[in-house]
Amino acid sequence: MTFSIFLEQIINGIVIGSMYALIGSGIALIYGTMRVLNLAHGEFYMLGGYFVFFLIVTYGVPAYLAIPVAVLLTFLLGAIIQRLTIFYLLSREGWAFSTIAVTLGLSIFLQNAALLLFGEQFQSVPYYLEGVIEFAGIRLPVQRLLIFVVALITIGAMTFVLKKTRLGWAIRATSQDLDASAVVGIPAQRIYMITFGLAAALGAVAAAMLAPIYAINPWSGLPILLKGFVVVILGGLGSFPGAIAGGLILGVVEAIGVQLTSSEWRDVIAFTLMILVVWIRPWGLFGQKP
Amino acid sequence: MFQPLKPWQWALVSAAVVVAALIPAVTQNTYLLHVLILSMIFGIFALAWNLVTGFAGLKTFGHHAFFGIGAYVSALISINAGLSPWLTIWIAAIAATIAGIFVGVPILRIKSMPHVAIVTLGFAEIVRIVISNLQSITRGELGLWGIPPFTGFSIPGIGQVVFSPADKVPYYYLILILLALSTAVVALLMRSKTGLSIVAMRDAEDAAESLGVNLTWQKLLVFGVSAFLVGVAGAFYGHYIGILTPTAAVGVDLMILIIAMVLVGGLGTLSGPLIGALILTAAVELLRDLEDYRLLVYGAIIIVVTMFLPRGLASLGPMIVKRLRTRSPENS
Repeated sequence: MTFSIFLEQIINGIVIGSMYALIGSGIALIYGTMRVLNLAHGEFYMLGGYFVFFLIVTYGVPAYLAIPVAVLLTFLLGAIIQRLTIFYLLSREGWAFSTIAVTLGLSIFLQNAALLLFGEQFQSVPYYLEGVIEFAGIRLPVQRLLIFVVALITIGAMTFVLKKTRLGWAIRATSQDLDASAVVGIPAQRIYMITFGLAAALGAVAAAMLAPIYAINPWSGLPILLKGFVVVILGGLGSFPGAIAGGLILGVVEAIGVQLTSSEWRDVIAFTLMILVVWIRPWGLFGQKP
Repeated sequence: MFQPLKPWQWALVSAAVVVAALIPAVTQNTYLLHVLILSMIFGIFALAWNLVTGFAGLKTFGHHAFFGIGAYVSALISINAGLSPWLTIWIAAIAATIAGIFVGVPILRIKSMPHVAIVTLGFAEIVRIVISNLQSITRGELGLWGIPPFTGFSIPGIGQVVFSPADKVPYYYLILILLALSTAVVALLMRSKTGLSIVAMRDAEDAAESLGVNLTWQKLLVFGVSAFLVGVAGAFYGHYIGILTPTAAVGVDLMILIIAMVLVGGLGTLSGPLIGALILTAAVELLRDLEDYRLLVYGAIIIVVTMFLPRGLASLGPMIVKRLRTRSPENS
């Protein structure tokens, strides 16, 4: 393995890692605010991918328009699903497990609904940008560069929303102290609904950007969900910055690991890394020790 | 569940066992027996998962790893070393137990439910990918076939007992015995002092610890027993079905099926997992035409049951009785 190939792999790892970060930050956002582990998060990714596919391939909508529409649709879908299911469970006894169970049910339901509605064939979307950048012997397709740029913009925008807007303050307030936030008049239930939608939308952004590289199919949610889990465990469950760092680390570790072994072992490398981290630092690399 | 069994409960349990034991005498319908055998395999699995999740409160989502380990270890040893399945299923169960303890150790350090769920799910994925990638040993996704059935024997007075795909009766009785033993193991464990401290640990971990419950030991014990039982179920499954693929034996779908069964039957009850296993296995067979919709229906069942019947069907009976009892004095 030459040095330039090695470097190329690391860059690829960072690019894919930025997508893992988007997936993980969605899971972290939901867990951070309402303490719900969302097993259906992968299905928002999968559905986001289908929305993009239908808009671009079936209806011929240009990508720069199709992607925001698909993200918005996924946001609405996420918010509606939260209102219909999680909303009723949060106040119940034993909600921690029942929310996991319901999102598991949702995951299977959405996956198989997609299978029946959209069929089992694998779909793909044409590249948004063609061309390759060459720099110091390293080749980087522009499409991959675009993925990374979009990830940076999305994470930046999300950080801005969380830190600087009233919505973001409300989200952080409800996650820190539900009762106190209710006292100052924050409608926690509506905040939860919006947060769930935002998390789903983050998944849809990742799906839209990966659509030209990874095939869209009814089962594409599960592998990405598992990656998202590894990311949040690495970064510390519920930590938004942790998820971003975790995503990048996972991307790079996978890329190097695959170079050293073979691509069949990619997921084994990811899960082994996760179990090792749990063993050594259960609260995650960037989380606070409880 | 910790009160002594009342006479009517003994009667109910005995009646269930007698009915189950008499079924092959009434009908030898291969298909019916096959469905019942499958539901008993899943019954053991569901019972064991419920022990960890419902009773001990360790919400694991990776028990299908132990099923797969049990199935593959037993099949591979009996194929390659020529040992009888009567022996290999126990070796496989021990292998599953060791794997269970191996997963149990990191879980001990975490009290957070999501971590437990994620780590166990990740572990099961590792097992599935390893089985699928080691094609020279397991034949990967092509499937491991040629798994020997249980060796026959003769019973004085009854004659030769032969395990073959054509005759389901010996398999039926074997799995019925395994199910009865598993139920007895879980019931006795839960009715013992250990069982009490397990439930105490589930309901109030810190309080239990401060009262001197050894959490580490309890969790490992429960995890080990549970993995052992699931390993036995998996090993039996391998020798019964005769062909194993990573997707069928270690797929997430299998875990989802078991979770649906336990939730439908009643999480944290003894009879719930068995009721759920019987109902869902039979329902799927009755609704064969639903093949494509099968998982869709499972998903919907999990959602509906969690939302509207959080304690499952097993709680329905006592709930109605309680309602009637509390209502009647008010009315009078």
